[in-house]
Amino acid sequence: MLRVSAIAEQAGVPSSTLVCEGFAGQAATTAVGLGMPNLPVAIVPGHVDMQTDNELRDNIVEVTLGQVIANLTEQPGDAAPVVEPGPNEIVFDGTFEEVNRLYYENGWSDGLPIVPPTREKVEAFLEFASLPPDHVFGKLPPDNRAASVWSVAVNGVMAGCRPEYMPVLLALAEAMCDPDYGVEHSGNTPGAETLITLNGPIVKELGFNYEQGALRDGFIANTSVGRFWRLYLRNVAGFLLHQTDKGTYGNTWRVVLAENEDVLERIGWEPIAADFGFARGTNAVTISRYTGGDVVASVFGQKPEQMLPYLADALVKQSGWELAFTVGIAQGTYRPLLLLTPILAETIAKAGWSRDDLKDALFEQARLPAWKFEQYIGGYNNLVPGRRTLLDMVNLGKAPRIFAESSDPERLVPIVAEPDDILIAVTGDPMRTNAYVFSHNGMLGYPVGKEIRLPEGWHEKLRRARR
Amino acid sequence: MAADTTYEVVWPRSPKTSELAPLASRHGDLEGKKIAFLWDYLFRGDEIFPILEAELKGRYPGIEFVGYETFGSTHGDQEHEILANLPENIRKLGIDAVVSGMGC
Repeated sequence: MLRVSAIAEQAGVPSSTLVCEGFAGQAATTAVGLGMPNLPVAIVPGHVDMQTDNELRDNIVEVTLGQVIANLTEQPGDAAPVVEPGPNEIVFDGTFEEVNRLYYENGWSDGLPIVPPTREKVEAFLEFASLPPDHVFGKLPPDNRAASVWSVAVNGVMAGCRPEYMPVLLALAEAMCDPDYGVEHSGNTPGAETLITLNGPIVKELGFNYEQGALRDGFIANTSVGRFWRLYLRNVAGFLLHQTDKGTYGNTWRVVLAENEDVLERIGWEPIAADFGFARGTNAVTISRYTGGDVVASVFGQKPEQMLPYLADALVKQSGWELAFTVGIAQGTYRPLLLLTPILAETIAKAGWSRDDLKDALFEQARLPAWKFEQYIGGYNNLVPGRRTLLDMVNLGKAPRIFAESSDPERLVPIVAEPDDILIAVTGDPMRTNAYVFSHNGMLGYPVGKEIRLPEGWHEKLRRARR
Repeated sequence: MAADTTYEVVWPRSPKTSELAPLASRHGDLEGKKIAFLWDYLFRGDEIFPILEAELKGRYPGIEFVGYETFGSTHGDQEHEILANLPENIRKLGIDAVVSGMGC
């Protein structure tokens, strides 16, 4: 909400931002990133959702109101500029332990040892860049720092990546800057974590794991690129716990998920990157934020029709409050992800089903009663204010008609707005019959795909790097 | 690695894309001013803004308000568009000050 106030101030009118007590720290650090460290806030004591009507009223009248008036009538003091180092400036010379201590104490590392980012190491990464070091993909809130090729290389070094991963890292930085993804929401309270999905020949060229144990650490490419993402969010976007990152619980970073390109080709299914415009065989990254996930163990059946009820049930069970991103907070932005092992995908494809056929069938079967959907978006919580029903939302033009085909509260409604909102990837242990479902964070990390651009002489450079 | 090996390391952050921006000039008095409420449609703003409106009106009888419905949710699928249009709406509606919520 500070973003709104900053826009108002830039437009020449004073502002006051209403902030619950527990978010004062986040407001203060976010204001720095907005270039207005003195942006005033008015505190609401406690948390509004836990207060009776009378308690809320008393808090607003006795505490918040006076601060709102002061914020709009009294000029805050000027903010002092902070001098920072240049992007390629040497900031320290010390031992491995000393460097790590300095980086940790400054909030530049995640708590694990980092590889010291010397100029020599950074230059090695830049050899694998298709763009000059000063190229900027965009600015990353809340700190609003430049997402430059140089900064990607520095954080790639620190994460323990190999120089040849640089094309993947650059595509990730570009994706992070895409407004559709919504990186500015990365410090929100559900604490969802980004999953990076990788497609194309680069999966094998760089040695990403795409079979048994996908999603587990243990492979340098999957693990270090996943760590890079979180370090880049920390150092360039500026998301720091106890400051700008208000994840109530959060997760450790997710290791990179790579699809099994061989199986996709064999069964004629498009990769997940195709949902974002990239044909099979294109090197591409897809990013999306997921609030959680669960395994679907021992799927049984020789035909898709036999497997569908279990897979659809798993999608429903994994979708709770997140349904407010199907109808409510941000209509049609909920995009859950289903992972299928190769043997499951092959069994479905053997029946002549395409990936789109599977999406259509899941859309039809992954349904829940309307009354239950309404509980998740505004009954148990207040995510949709006013206890509005799905019928209300359709009548207001804020939900597709399929959510109000009758007024029967027992009618079944889908978990997503349309079949294509369900994402499907093929990966994991080739011969095991398990699946996995991720629940999605909607517009607070909407799926975005980017092509990976390789530098000139890629294969020769790769050969040299491997020696 | 040897215990005495040292490393000359670079800064892991990146330059900010904007300089410090000055805040708008405050109004000495809210009497006769037009206040816009902007809301993210979360955390009881629909109850809080009416309380603020009534209390402010009691203190400044000539104060005017532009409700959050005029703008739409500042935290939803129209967020980017609503924020992009805000400067123009502030000008067009003659708004003197903004109260934005809810950060919870």
